[in-house]
Amino acid sequence: MNVSVADILIDLIGTACVVIVFAYVVTRTRFFTAILDKQFSFKNQLILILLFGALSIFGTYGGIELPSGAIANIRDLSPMIAGLVGGPVVGLGVGLIGGIDRYFLGGLTCLPCSLSTVIAGLVGGVVYKLRKGEFVLVWQAALLAAVMESFHMGLVLLIVRPYAEALAVVEKVSLPMIGANALGIALFALIIRNLIIERRTAAEKDKYRRELERREYEMETARGIQQSFLPDSPPQVEGFELAALSLPAWEVGGDFYDFIPIPPDKWGIVIADVSGKGVPAALFMALSRTCVRANVAGNSTACEAIRRANDLITQDAESGMFVTLFYAVLDPKRKHLNYVNAGHNPPLLLQGSAGNVILLEASGIALGVMDDIELEEKELELASNDIVVLYTDGVTEAINEKEEQFGEERLTAVITQNTNLPAQELIDKIKEEVTVFAQGQPQFDDITLVILKVS
Amino acid sequence: MEIPEKKIGDVDIISLSGRLDAYCANDVERKLTSLIKANQVRIVVNLEHLEYISSSGLRVLLSALKEVRKQQGDIKLACLKPYVKEVFDIAGFTKLFTILDTEKGAVDSFSGSIR
Repeated sequence: MNVSVADILIDLIGTACVVIVFAYVVTRTRFFTAILDKQFSFKNQLILILLFGALSIFGTYGGIELPSGAIANIRDLSPMIAGLVGGPVVGLGVGLIGGIDRYFLGGLTCLPCSLSTVIAGLVGGVVYKLRKGEFVLVWQAALLAAVMESFHMGLVLLIVRPYAEALAVVEKVSLPMIGANALGIALFALIIRNLIIERRTAAEKDKYRRELERREYEMETARGIQQSFLPDSPPQVEGFELAALSLPAWEVGGDFYDFIPIPPDKWGIVIADVSGKGVPAALFMALSRTCVRANVAGNSTACEAIRRANDLITQDAESGMFVTLFYAVLDPKRKHLNYVNAGHNPPLLLQGSAGNVILLEASGIALGVMDDIELEEKELELASNDIVVLYTDGVTEAINEKEEQFGEERLTAVITQNTNLPAQELIDKIKEEVTVFAQGQPQFDDITLVILKVS
Repeated sequence: MEIPEKKIGDVDIISLSGRLDAYCANDVERKLTSLIKANQVRIVVNLEHLEYISSSGLRVLLSALKEVRKQQGDIKLACLKPYVKEVFDIAGFTKLFTILDTEKGAVDSFSGSIR
């Protein structure tokens, strides 16, 4: 029988392909990934040893018998890769299975071949230890296999006698065996490295997803807390109707409104808009609301209450944060409204009798900008069917697809056309009109509305 | 947002355009912070091509104003469109900022304070 070097190489490559399929399937088992995760339980190691042992035996029989009786094979590949993945114990275990099987096969090269299989497993395990458990690069695995097979050939020359026969075998098989083992182990290593990278990416994705979920949960909680800062429902005030709405553009926002009882029988009404959006605005909103609340009850005038609140807010207003605020004190008995405007867009007063629209302007400046501000306090007498609409610029600056703003005019029109509606329904109507106007556009700013209607 | 920058004497001039809202505020804040860090605290902000400013935009300008005034500098605003001027008016910020009709006027208004 005339077997050429090329024939042997081609056959060995075919065998290596079987190895690759084996590698692909085995690396997907949970025992293999458990070992990759350094879970060296007895069971995991034993199963791996048996699986790779079987592969090592296949490496022997999948090899090609040469005319001399020697077998050109890839038996050493399996213990080596097992050692590289699972350490010396696994490597040695696989090496022993492959080696003992080879030993009982007999033949001229029986001893050096079975010995080198055991050594291949040990070498893999030692490299594993040297690299502190980190899997080798593909070219390193290939180089290691090439060196190991050269050693294997050396062992044959050293042990087998007569030397001439040993030399004849080595001359014929050394090149195909070095080539096929190096190629086989490189492909095996490539599959394992890909698996490691895939698993790392999946783990990172998982981490980001959990982080995202945590943040979403946090924002949802923050939203709940912020909502709890707003009144649950507007107060019942005889002779008046009150209603309010606040829709943050993001999970949390900087707008707020408040109804504060002022003993014995007055009510403070607040609408405010903190600069910016999101978490910074929400934190500043909490500060502002508390400062305003704390100062409303003890101070006689609207102006004094807000001036004092401003001094407190300004102390903590780093990085240019500020809040525009409109504050009114309603005296239900006298139907009087005293108000100050700290840089907020002026509320609309729709006079029920004449149908006039008046802007509640008063000179002032946003809170948190500077100490000791001047605020003009104005007084207003309300009549039956008057409607006061307090709003933040999220209402008037809502934009449609043509980038037009909803604007004060549209707002005024909605109110004048719906004066007969109760306060709450009027708010719903405005919200609906703004939503229809800005159809499909993302809501850019927080939207807040408070309506006071004189019965 | 593209923020063109030039220098006349020791006054830095930056020009804002388009919409200055929460999305662009960071760009402007970074630009102003870099000027202030380099001790360039005489700044003119030209708003000729600014169509819209939100409270986030006001915050950035206010924050920079507080910072430059600590260092004896100032930020002057020039060429405000009526709508932008109205936003400054409502918030009461026209009392805080020096606002001039032209860029040249804004630059010149610094000369009195230069030593």
